[in-house]
Amino acid sequence: MSNPRKRNFRIEGFKHGVVMDPQYGDKTWIILENAIHQIYNHNASGLSFEELYRNAYNMVLHKFGERLDSGLVATVTSHLQEMARSVEATQGSSFLVELNRMWEDHNKALQMIRDILMYMDRTYIQTIKKTTVYELGLNLWRENVLHSNQIRTRLLNMLLELVHSERAGEVVNRGLIRSITKMLIDTGPSVYEEEFENPFLLASTEFYRAESQIFIECCGSGDYLKKAEMHLNEELDRVSHYLDPSTETKITTLVEKEMLENHMLRLIYKETSGLVNMLGDDKYEDLVKDNGKQLVTDPERLKDPVEFVQRLSDVKDKFNKIIDLAFSNDKLFMKDLNSSFEFFMNLNPRIPEYISLFVDDKLRKGLKGVSEDVVEINLDKVMVLFRYLQEKDVFEKYYKQHLAKRLLSGKTVSDDAERSLIVKLKTECGFQFTAKLEGMFTDMKTSVDTMKSFNANHPELGDGPTLTVQVLTTGSWPAQSSVTCNLPTEMSALCEKFRSYYLSTHNGRKLTWQTNMGTADLKATFGSGQKHELNVSTYQMCILMLFNNADRLSYREIEQATEIPASDLKRCLQSLALVKGRNVLRKEPMGKDVSEDDTFYVNDRFSSKLYKIKIGTVVAQKESELEKLDTRQKEEEDRKPQIEAAIVRIMKSRKQLEHNNLMAEVTQQLQSRFLTNPTDVKKRIESLLEREFLERDTVDRKLYRYLA
Amino acid sequence: MGVINDRVKFNVGGRVFETTATTLANAGRNSMLGAMLDENWNLLQDNGSEKFIDRNADCFSVILDLLRTGELYIPQNVPEKLLYREALFYGVLDHVRSAKWGQFDGNRLRLSCSVQGQAPGDGTAIRAGPDGGCCVAHGCMVHVYDWMLEEHCPLNLDHQRVNDVGWVDPNNIVIGVSERLGRGDGGMGLFSSHNGELRYKFQVSHENHVKSYTAGALSFSSDYKIFSSCKGRSNEYGVGVWDQVTGKQIDFFYEPLGWSLGDADKLQWLEGSNCLLVATMFPRKDNCYISLLDFREKKMVWCWSDVGATLAVDEKRVRDAIAMEDNSSICVVNEFEELGFMDLRSSAANSVRWSSRSRLMKGKMPEEPCYPKLALHGGQLFSSMNDCISVFCGPEWVLTSRLRRSYGGSICDFSIGGDRLFALHSEENVFDIWETP
Repeated sequence: MSNPRKRNFRIEGFKHGVVMDPQYGDKTWIILENAIHQIYNHNASGLSFEELYRNAYNMVLHKFGERLDSGLVATVTSHLQEMARSVEATQGSSFLVELNRMWEDHNKALQMIRDILMYMDRTYIQTIKKTTVYELGLNLWRENVLHSNQIRTRLLNMLLELVHSERAGEVVNRGLIRSITKMLIDTGPSVYEEEFENPFLLASTEFYRAESQIFIECCGSGDYLKKAEMHLNEELDRVSHYLDPSTETKITTLVEKEMLENHMLRLIYKETSGLVNMLGDDKYEDLVKDNGKQLVTDPERLKDPVEFVQRLSDVKDKFNKIIDLAFSNDKLFMKDLNSSFEFFMNLNPRIPEYISLFVDDKLRKGLKGVSEDVVEINLDKVMVLFRYLQEKDVFEKYYKQHLAKRLLSGKTVSDDAERSLIVKLKTECGFQFTAKLEGMFTDMKTSVDTMKSFNANHPELGDGPTLTVQVLTTGSWPAQSSVTCNLPTEMSALCEKFRSYYLSTHNGRKLTWQTNMGTADLKATFGSGQKHELNVSTYQMCILMLFNNADRLSYREIEQATEIPASDLKRCLQSLALVKGRNVLRKEPMGKDVSEDDTFYVNDRFSSKLYKIKIGTVVAQKESELEKLDTRQKEEEDRKPQIEAAIVRIMKSRKQLEHNNLMAEVTQQLQSRFLTNPTDVKKRIESLLEREFLERDTVDRKLYRYLA
Repeated sequence: MGVINDRVKFNVGGRVFETTATTLANAGRNSMLGAMLDENWNLLQDNGSEKFIDRNADCFSVILDLLRTGELYIPQNVPEKLLYREALFYGVLDHVRSAKWGQFDGNRLRLSCSVQGQAPGDGTAIRAGPDGGCCVAHGCMVHVYDWMLEEHCPLNLDHQRVNDVGWVDPNNIVIGVSERLGRGDGGMGLFSSHNGELRYKFQVSHENHVKSYTAGALSFSSDYKIFSSCKGRSNEYGVGVWDQVTGKQIDFFYEPLGWSLGDADKLQWLEGSNCLLVATMFPRKDNCYISLLDFREKKMVWCWSDVGATLAVDEKRVRDAIAMEDNSSICVVNEFEELGFMDLRSSAANSVRWSSRSRLMKGKMPEEPCYPKLALHGGQLFSSMNDCISVFCGPEWVLTSRLRRSYGGSICDFSIGGDRLFALHSEENVFDIWETP
């Protein structure tokens, strides 16, 4: 300010430069309200969106948001009330059409109003957390139209009626129903639920309750189930066509409950067509078969036969339980179960052996200290499995072997248990099957008596070694190669005495020594003066006795002196010299295997806490492959005479018989022992024809005659 | 295209623009431009005539360019505020926001701008909001800024000291305040970030009695829980848990004897292990207590404290802690900005493995020191010290970047969120916004 002249400074009052027209809000709203009317009256084409949007924008900007919001509610409400009146006024079926038309109008109008008021939605509504324009429109529709007294019930009844008539087979306008339900859904999920879904479900419950009552009176279970399925599909179809997907599970559970659950018992037990009959065999049988097959063919499982059979038995128990609990021991199911078991139990040819091993294990040690009842239960379980075997004779073979071992080594835990099992086998397969087994027991008993009288007759033998002989009937016992060895002189003299005694009391018999099966108790004194009693096999006894006269012996010397077969000798030496803690002999050179150049000498440093020491023989529990093949072949050989005998027996009584009938009868007769192979039977017939036990009829080649 | 003529002509404030419906469709149907082209509004108009819009032409040009290219370029002559207003009019403000800055990367941050507050400094906390806004706590005030850095209604907590703030969602913030003696107030409240209105007050009850309390540090979990350290009048110390939806208190973890929970400086919810990290640091207590709480079993599953530890001559006191779930470790920092690590997996972690990094800070502490703070984002570790924020990356936590601006003094707090980093300075009441371009 260059001019120093004083100037009168006057502060002027602040001029209100911009005064907002107080009527601005009202004026603008009138424009917008007018537009909303036009929109509802389908007259929107003349409206300028830009202008309306700008007006609404300005109203919000100038803080007329509240006015805008309340004005909107009032205007839309008045239109909706008008719509409601027009819907109420419609008669009959056009009601739904009109309602739908109104909804479409309202929906479209709402879209456009929302477009205009978009800015309000974005800003004003956001900050004060009110409902958006669209939601507001839906709420108003619900309040003014849907909840109008004259519309609400009418709408519901009409919808339910339509559904009912469709269930009754009439054709309805699905498109229309769809639009209406869609309207209900759009108006809000709870609206659909309250206004339609719940009453609909209630009506459906009643419908199906009545329906199912009628059906069950007049249809069989099969037809009933078909009907139920049809209804279920109908409802699914309905849902997909005009209901909300959320209804699907509700209606299906409803139908299932009304049509199936409530009539479950009747459906199952309905005579001639009940579930029990219907389910029949297929499903259950397959299940059992699959389950069993898996078990039987799993190589891992087969490693331990005892465990394996236990599992089989468990599986059987499990299925029995299922049948018992779920099907109250229905006979059909039992039959299925049995046939399934028979199927898979015979998939694996080694199962007879395993079952026998299982029994062996149980009778050796498994049942020690167990009460008789438990023993019985266990044996019964074995018998249950045994019944499924087709090759019972294979089982017999193995059983005989195992029993022999048990009896001769005195390993059997309980005579009662042994006998009990034999009785069970006898009832199962007849006298023939167990005759030999029983013979074995008899032999054991007579042997005891024989020994008593032998000892009584030879009182002078008191000081020397004691001999216990078990006289076994050839044939009853599993055949053993009778390779004898050279017994020590003390023993052979004793044996001679027994032989002469025995033959003197039993005329015309022949005795062979089965040295490979005996055992002996030896008293031995080791280097440090320690005394032990050794329980060894006969072979081992023979070897050890040699060391009474020599300190060192080579393999060849031992072999020469004892004449024990090479394989047995090696095993014996192995168990004498190589088992840690029990090696009464030592070997030179050291090594894991016995070879023919080895030398043996007494282990002077042998020591043990126990006085009595059992020196086992290295044996294979399970059969080796070779043995297995051997057993199989023998089995085949053994079956030949049995088949022939059966053929002859049958032909003898029938005199003449057709081929097929003969085959059938043979199979039937041998069933309890093994399953016959038709080719084998045919071969036997051929052989009998050759040997002239039978002849073919000259006219009918299929007919056989018995030649006496 | 060819067949359908999708050209659209606009006259915006007198300037004619020509574009295509395809370009405009990028704005979305829920925008003014989208609605304008909707057939509902175009029953009579033929496509040839131009549509008039009574708005600023320069801004329209920028926005049209954004719709065409997806990129935002603001010329010198267009003020940002003006552009935002216009974008809001057209309903494309979200487009502008997402185009303005890119995905967060600590190593590429650029200072976008600094905002000067009204008060003279000594801020308590700054918290980034999920959509790019932030709030700054200052004594008994909380200032809320949206992503355009427009300040909303400030929140005045009636002379109660604000301890922590946090964003529940872009529209709501939670504030924890101290209780004043003789008044039954304090505690934690939910406020609208738009108009500052108190929407809900979270209550704590002990044995069915509602008690007043002081709310300390806050944390939030993705399953809508709010955690706060609480100090009650009658020694009810611990950590309270509330449901965000119902607002009801759902749990309370009482402070065990000889430990500190109610005074915690920092809470951190660990999504992976379903645990809460609670850390109380030196100036508040004489010792440092860090623990992990498992609320389901009401168990402290991991804990560490320097109670009884002999302090060496060069004191190393833990000043902030952060759990790094990906590395199963807890990172701590001392007043010399040395980072230390502890293994989360062994519960008997008694020692901090201090990284042998810089001792640079030693000896040149500013007059008004600020305690260092830590933050973790996208596998990058951030640590503030004095007027500078360091960014560490990789398994060895190598220092890769430094953010520094030499105005406003030391950084007393910083926060990362909404793809932005906010740093609050203590001497001047100013905060910086760092963005990835």
